[in-house]
Amino acid sequence: MERRNVSISGTGKIGGGEYGNVRISGAGKVDGDLVAEEIRISGSGKILGSAKAKEISVSGAARFGGRVEGEVFQASGACVVEGELQTGELRCSGSQKVGGPLKAHYIRSSGTLSVGGNVDTDVFTSSGRFSINGMLSADRVEVRLVGNSTVKEIGGEHIEVRSGGGFNFQVSLSRGFRMGFAGGSLTAEVIEGDEVYLEETQADIVRGVNVKIGPGCKIKRVEYQNSLEVHSDAQVNEKSKV
Amino acid sequence: MGEELLAKKEVLKLTGISYGQLYRWKRKGLIPEAWFVRRATVTGQETFFPKDKILARIEQIQSMKEARSLDELVQILSPEAAPDGGHWDDPLALSPIGPQAKELLWKQDKYDFAELVALAAGAEAVRGGVPATAAQLLVQLVRTEEHILKTPSGISAVLGEKAIDRGGISVRVPFAVLAQEPVRVDHESRIVHTCDLESIVERVKLALGEVA
Repeated sequence: MERRNVSISGTGKIGGGEYGNVRISGAGKVDGDLVAEEIRISGSGKILGSAKAKEISVSGAARFGGRVEGEVFQASGACVVEGELQTGELRCSGSQKVGGPLKAHYIRSSGTLSVGGNVDTDVFTSSGRFSINGMLSADRVEVRLVGNSTVKEIGGEHIEVRSGGGFNFQVSLSRGFRMGFAGGSLTAEVIEGDEVYLEETQADIVRGVNVKIGPGCKIKRVEYQNSLEVHSDAQVNEKSKV
Repeated sequence: MGEELLAKKEVLKLTGISYGQLYRWKRKGLIPEAWFVRRATVTGQETFFPKDKILARIEQIQSMKEARSLDELVQILSPEAAPDGGHWDDPLALSPIGPQAKELLWKQDKYDFAELVALAAGAEAVRGGVPATAAQLLVQLVRTEEHILKTPSGISAVLGEKAIDRGGISVRVPFAVLAQEPVRVDHESRIVHTCDLESIVERVKLALGEVA
């Protein structure tokens, strides 16, 4: 049976089920579990159940009520996934919330990413803010700090956290126009990796093989196997070679 | 649980693996989440592992990863990834079962995965000196509890024997149970044989991989 394409422009509601391409460009609602080849939401979309599609893209506002599974998930507006999100690729540049856990191969976030559970991925790159309630596990973690980010734990092979640095400029309704040196910061309990480079990071424990603690860090304890460098503008309370 | 625990950094030191590998294997499901035991120590939070299990698993992964891809290893080592729907006609040809299990067979052919695991558990008992009649109890028990094989439950199949000596009559009754270690029995009973289902499942998957 051929799967039907649906398009909601204006206000509309469809039942759950299997479709070809689903496009919502007005205010649309899917009442149940949705399986589709492609889901595109450019207005405001609400999927009450779970969703599964090869490609999911959101450029307006979307809320997924359950688990979401895809190969490519792209969001540039405000997107909420209340359940688990599993995708090959996640690219988000707006505000992305995941109830958690989040499983992917590649994550690139340049907006605000918040995850209620663990994040498992091969590559995690962020140039925005993130808050992860659980653990971030990845082969490569590359973070350029903007604003204040938090994560419970980071574990991986190569971990690099750099201050956003340079001039940063913000226009917001409440705070007006700001321009200044605002590098952002990261707060974590435990960071573990083979190669670890940190800036502007506060952590209880950093464990690694080759560890470099850069400017602005406050680390309670560092355990390293091979080498440790601490920048003059960083604070490390305890160091131990294991 | 009386298992000996090993801190993560000790695991890395003993095995020579990197943080990257450890986390990658965890993400893939090669190292069960349940083995990561978090404890607060004097120096802050630390993760520990059940020593024997983690060392054995890492050795397995290291010895197998030359010849197989990580995804193939997941198929073999992760309990959730049990092969579905297949049937095998000659269970005795599989090394974890072997000719010792001849008396345990109950049909000609078309054994499914759970039945192979049950046979392997029985065969292991027979090789351990358990009489075939008692090993049969084990086989019957395991093959009816297929779902246990697909979850990382840490459950063992245990063969016990109850000895009753009363009024000059002395009987020994074998029985089989599925239980979590450590297993305790009453004073009239003893444990004859214990079989770790997870490791049996792994061995059967490995053997099937070699046949295929």
